[in-house]
Amino acid sequence: MTPEQRLADAFVALAGSTADGSSDVPGPLSVLATRAPALLSVHAATVVFAPGKYDAARAAGSNPLVSRLEHEAIGWREGPGHDCHRADAGPWAQTALTSRPTRQRWPRYTPRALTLGYTHVVALPLREHTVTKGVLTLLSGAQHAFPPSTLVLGRSLADFTAVIMERAREADRSRTLTAQLEQALASRVVIEQAKGVLATRWAVPLDEAFDLLRKHARSRQRPLRDVAREVIEGRADPDLTDR
Amino acid sequence: MDPQGRRENLGLTAMARQRAALARERADRADAVAERHELLAARPGQEFHAQIAKTHRRTAECHRASARLQDDFAARAAAWSGERGTRPRFMTVVAEACGTPSAAIALLDAERNQLAVAASDRLARTAQDLEFVLGEGPGQDAAAGHRPVHLSGPRIEARWPWCGPSLLSLGIASVAAVPLRAQNSCIGALTVFDTRPTDTGPVHLAEVAEALTHIVLLDPDADPDLYGGTDMRATVHQAAGMVSARTGCSVSDALALIKARAFTEEVSSETVAGEIVHGDRKLI
Repeated sequence: MTPEQRLADAFVALAGSTADGSSDVPGPLSVLATRAPALLSVHAATVVFAPGKYDAARAAGSNPLVSRLEHEAIGWREGPGHDCHRADAGPWAQTALTSRPTRQRWPRYTPRALTLGYTHVVALPLREHTVTKGVLTLLSGAQHAFPPSTLVLGRSLADFTAVIMERAREADRSRTLTAQLEQALASRVVIEQAKGVLATRWAVPLDEAFDLLRKHARSRQRPLRDVAREVIEGRADPDLTDR
Repeated sequence: MDPQGRRENLGLTAMARQRAALARERADRADAVAERHELLAARPGQEFHAQIAKTHRRTAECHRASARLQDDFAARAAAWSGERGTRPRFMTVVAEACGTPSAAIALLDAERNQLAVAASDRLARTAQDLEFVLGEGPGQDAAAGHRPVHLSGPRIEARWPWCGPSLLSLGIASVAAVPLRAQNSCIGALTVFDTRPTDTGPVHLAEVAEALTHIVLLDPDADPDLYGGTDMRATVHQAAGMVSARTGCSVSDALALIKARAFTEEVSSETVAGEIVHGDRKLI
């Protein structure tokens, strides 16, 4: 496969990872982490995703060892992923893990990454609008730093992933809102129907029937719509429906 | 002037103006995001940003359309004298935006039962009632097929054997309907009616429907009640409950009985239901 084909292939895989329109986070994260090394000619990649609290961040890696490293780094609150997420800016700061300042900056992350054979890291933000929601970290064991082409392509991949995840979340949100609206409207319908049933059973005006329904639900600490549904389905407490 | 009505109109005006301002803010934000993606799209290998920019530009357009509807409604509310009978309806500005006097929305459940309706005028409301009673019509078809529907003249009758003749006898010469879509789901339909035959539906119908979907569902300040203009047919459902309790049939069968009676007597389901609720109609 040419590099272009490989990139197109990765885009398709990323888009497909949320194809059912669900914002199942692990899907795109692990696709990104596992595809990135071959695509970008790096040795390993990790992804952290923390749209809310950093403690609740999710992580994935291109191999089990880096995956574990990234998970632990979340707990340590250090490493390229953590810093890039916190900085919320995102110049592509490449870091040599062999340098002293790096060891001081990430005292736990650096030795572990070196033990795994990685000497260079770079963090690329997954951004939504201007907010950094997650980070793609590339790791390399080469002597030299990452070439610019890797960074450009990596950025592209990170941006695309962020967009895919945002879209999937929007789809989720609209599904939730649709279900809530339908439920709210259907509840009102059922409550009116139950009022009619009770008004007839008790031979009382509709507003009194509503009072009966509401008092019954309140005294049993149950949602009005559940009690109303039981009334219209003939499964309600006889105290409420039988004279 | 009715003082309580006057207070109410001030409330409606302020709320509509605020919603217009918020919609414009959302439009500006979407435009800013689009601009950022347009810049990114200029770089090699980042062409997909152009597509994303386009999506955000469309979102911005949609928010601006919502803002215009809210502005128009605010103007109507401000001009309202406060009298009950002339209370401004949000659907009136929706109809105007579509370039037609008669527009209605129906909010539907997953089985496409009407849960609520809002209409700009008597004609649109009567047409929605026909769909409610007969379970067929332009709104139903648009929602079921997830696509626009437009029919004129005798084709209306051919398409909907029950509902069609009644629509024509109301003086309706053309109908156009679009689904109210939120991602993959459909929450209902916007339908417009014209007493003149037309070759196509209103140009902006889909755009207005999209703005309306934001206004009733998707926006943070969404208002499915449309400023009190949405009707869930409380009386009809109360009557269905009463008939069910009297006859021992299920509530859905009782509802079907009311609809059938309305159809055969050529009156609205509200009329039949009103008579049941007020005791003027003992048994169905």
